[in-house]
Amino acid sequence: MARRFLTLYGLLFFVFIYAPILLVVVYSFNANTVNMMIWSGFTFDWYRQIFGMETQVTESAIYVDSTDQLYAAIRTSLTVALSTSAFSTICGTALALAVARYRFRLAGFYRTLLMVPMIMPDIVLGIALLIFFITIGMNLSLMSIIIGQSTFLISYVFVTVSARLAEFDTSVEEASADLGATPAQTFRKVTLPGIAPGILGGWLLSFIISMDDLVITYFIAGTGNTTLPIHIWGMLRRGIKPEINAIATLMLLFTLVIAAIGLYFRSRRQK
Amino acid sequence: MSLARRKFLQLLGLLGGPTLFLLVFFFGPLLIMVVYSFLTPGLYGGVDWIFSHLNYGRILGWADTRYEKFDPVFLSIFGRSLRLAALTVITSLLISYPAAFWISRMTPGRRDFAIFLVTLPFFVSLIVRLFAWVLILRPTGFLNQGLMGVGLTAQPIEFLYTDFAVILGMTYVFIPFMFLPLYGSIEKLDIAQIEASADLGATRFQTFRKVVLPATMPGIIGGAIITFIPALGNFIVPSVLGGAKVLMIGNLIEQQFLSARNWPFGSALAMLVMTAVLVLLVVQLRLARHGEH
Repeated sequence: MARRFLTLYGLLFFVFIYAPILLVVVYSFNANTVNMMIWSGFTFDWYRQIFGMETQVTESAIYVDSTDQLYAAIRTSLTVALSTSAFSTICGTALALAVARYRFRLAGFYRTLLMVPMIMPDIVLGIALLIFFITIGMNLSLMSIIIGQSTFLISYVFVTVSARLAEFDTSVEEASADLGATPAQTFRKVTLPGIAPGILGGWLLSFIISMDDLVITYFIAGTGNTTLPIHIWGMLRRGIKPEINAIATLMLLFTLVIAAIGLYFRSRRQK
Repeated sequence: MSLARRKFLQLLGLLGGPTLFLLVFFFGPLLIMVVYSFLTPGLYGGVDWIFSHLNYGRILGWADTRYEKFDPVFLSIFGRSLRLAALTVITSLLISYPAAFWISRMTPGRRDFAIFLVTLPFFVSLIVRLFAWVLILRPTGFLNQGLMGVGLTAQPIEFLYTDFAVILGMTYVFIPFMFLPLYGSIEKLDIAQIEASADLGATRFQTFRKVVLPATMPGIIGGAIITFIPALGNFIVPSVLGGAKVLMIGNLIEQQFLSARNWPFGSALAMLVMTAVLVLLVVQLRLARHGEH
């Protein structure tokens, strides 16, 4: 009896998690242009609009934001996410290697310190960065977004790579050294391939978080640099429109593919 | 070059760049924000480099009556933020705990897949997840359609722009934060202890209260803290689901920076959030130490 109740509860838990997301996906195919909440048939029109194609429903043309703006936002987001994740991955990996493989007095201190950016409320970091950039006279630009996001993404990469380093057997490295490999050779041939899944995981994680970051980017983006989340945020503020469903579904697909790749590598690593 | 020296140089090469970057671009901004919270706001949105404690006075109760009036509304908004964040923690705990228990009893293969499913929404865009709840809660939304369809209400209920909507939204967004630490400690539960407790005649409730709950307390505290912190300073969820009716401290801070343009006051408000977070972390450290002894 108790067990059956627990199972029911567990299933409801997953309904709670997934039903809202599924609703967005289903309703992105809703043909109703008058009331987006009432199902009136299947259509690809909202997707066609996003891709700038002609649609049968001319009425809905009043909804369309310029697709150029949408594309520009996607480009900005990709540029920022690629730069930020690359930079954060390099810094985070370097820090993880230093803390895990060298004995120095500040190692424990670093471990604690690198937690701080992750628990800092994002609005605090956002306004602090805004004040900082304005005070030192730096223009708000793509550069300021990349710098700002990196300050906390380094920590995410650090944690991911550190976890991999911790379960990585040091005796293999010692064996490599015993067999006459130089430290550089050992690093290249043993350590790096060993922690590669961790680095890849950290890179994907920082890429996804960067693509999705709204709060910090919101404060330091300035006027000309609209990322995808900020663009959608603006659309939402102007009113709920059916095409947001379609954009949301495409974003969903994109992040799910990346998350699936990351989790696939993680599960392979564990076996 | 000696080995020690070479090691030292390698270490410096690894640490130097990132350390410098974080010092300048992470700790630098936080320091400047602290300084700003003690400066005088300029007349036209800028800042005058004159010391002032009135930014804090406006919030906490002392003020210069000329233009920097004390207004209890700031403390009450902060109080509401604390309350909503606490309720979010409780809701997500109540939702996650039985689910984590259920998943911990599965076969290993299923278990991994279930955890994968719980983590997956974390990677789905925040704004998309909130938008979904707007569709559900708005007057013409699914919830109202359902309620009216069944005949429970004749008129749509205004779910959107209420405390309820904000708590629901934050719970939904932060579920993985609560679930994972909880699951970590529930998974480690010693089944033999639970069985022993039952064998010795304890009721289910007694076993839960005396054995299960204390053993999973670290997970509860850990989950509560990492859910509470982002909930407290949140301004996206209250903006989307709370509208102008449910202001949280995050909205207030945002206003100071983007419309009111009173940066020193906004910084002081942010310091309030930071202080709350620090107090919480110190308490947690104390509790963790206490648990070790």
